[in-house]
Amino acid sequence: MANQVPTTVAGRMTLHHRRSVGKLTAPQLRDLRRAFKAAMAIEDDRGFWYFAGWHGIPFAWCEHHTELFLPWHRAYLYYFELALHAQVPGVSLPWWDWTTSGHIPRAYTVKTANGSQNPLFARKLHVYRSHTSDPVGDREPGAAPVPPLPYKSRWDRAMRATSFTEFSQRIEAIHDDVHVWVGGIMSSIDTAAYDPLFYAHHVMIDRAWRIWQHRNPGALPRHGLLDVALRPNGITVRQVLDVKQLGYDYAGTASHAAGPTA
Amino acid sequence: MQRWTSDPLAVPRDAAAPFLHADLEFEDLEHDGPSFVVRLYLNRPGGAEEAEAGHFSVFGHGECWGDLGHCDVPTTARAFDRPHPLTPINITVDVTDALAALPEAEEVTVTALAQSLEADRQAEPLRFKRLTLVTYE
Repeated sequence: MANQVPTTVAGRMTLHHRRSVGKLTAPQLRDLRRAFKAAMAIEDDRGFWYFAGWHGIPFAWCEHHTELFLPWHRAYLYYFELALHAQVPGVSLPWWDWTTSGHIPRAYTVKTANGSQNPLFARKLHVYRSHTSDPVGDREPGAAPVPPLPYKSRWDRAMRATSFTEFSQRIEAIHDDVHVWVGGIMSSIDTAAYDPLFYAHHVMIDRAWRIWQHRNPGALPRHGLLDVALRPNGITVRQVLDVKQLGYDYAGTASHAAGPTA
Repeated sequence: MQRWTSDPLAVPRDAAAPFLHADLEFEDLEHDGPSFVVRLYLNRPGGAEEAEAGHFSVFGHGECWGDLGHCDVPTTARAFDRPHPLTPINITVDVTDALAALPEAEEVTVTALAQSLEADRQAEPLRFKRLTLVTYE
């Protein structure tokens, strides 16, 4: 196939690639855990609990069942990933591929890893700037009366959408089912982002949008949405349309070679 | 488990222009409590797993953690306000295959079985203003 027009990203940004959690190498998974653990140790607005609070308790800035669902969550993952980068440079949020897997990835279900508590296992709900932490109940995968995973055929149907709005509605319906399928704190908007699995689920949703964008170049949210500022940082819908401008992309594989000036 | 059955909804048939697609549209659906799942059936008031016409999940907001009035949806919007997070939503469910499986039906009832993930807190989670069956030629 002939090469496409090359894309450029301004500035000295290093593009990083998000990967399937099932394909993370041992060092990559170790870095992910290290980043979550470090972020969970921070009580201020650089920490995990602050970012978990964006989505539900206490800030509730998230967008659901609106046309801002995909842009808002893309911006949210972007800022959270930057917070993880501050702890472990180069770490990437992985996706949970619930189109091929009928289970929660083992990386998120084991209680201990490398001899200590696994920070990807949901343990507590600690509301930002509060002085209390509540233990959380276990996830209950498959207990709710939604269809069992995987959701490949529904993903395929979403990918056949021909407008942004139609795609957004279809993928959000699947998204809702996955939240409910997981159970525990993942099944409520107010608490979902306190479960580290939330981010792997939403990276999968964001990846879906990225793939759909590839297949439908130029298919944008309606014009009136493009300059809407997303809470809380004011980044606009237009500014989150291109993941490369945000410094990341989705990779099946990514191989690197040092350049002559490395 | 909440069970709700609609009044009969007309299914206009036009042999010259058969429908290609059919949707159920739930309007002004409330989502202020625990998450819940709704399974839908056409002309099956008793439900039957093998005859499910479609389903949807509502990713609910859970309990109100604010003070009195925190979760009241404003009745008027000021300039530049984003919609309140608990503003009722519309949900569309594709029932094309289920309606096509009833080729003789001139009307259908819709039965919804709604199950909350916290049934002890919310026995009847399904609350909405209007249901519409829409077919597209």
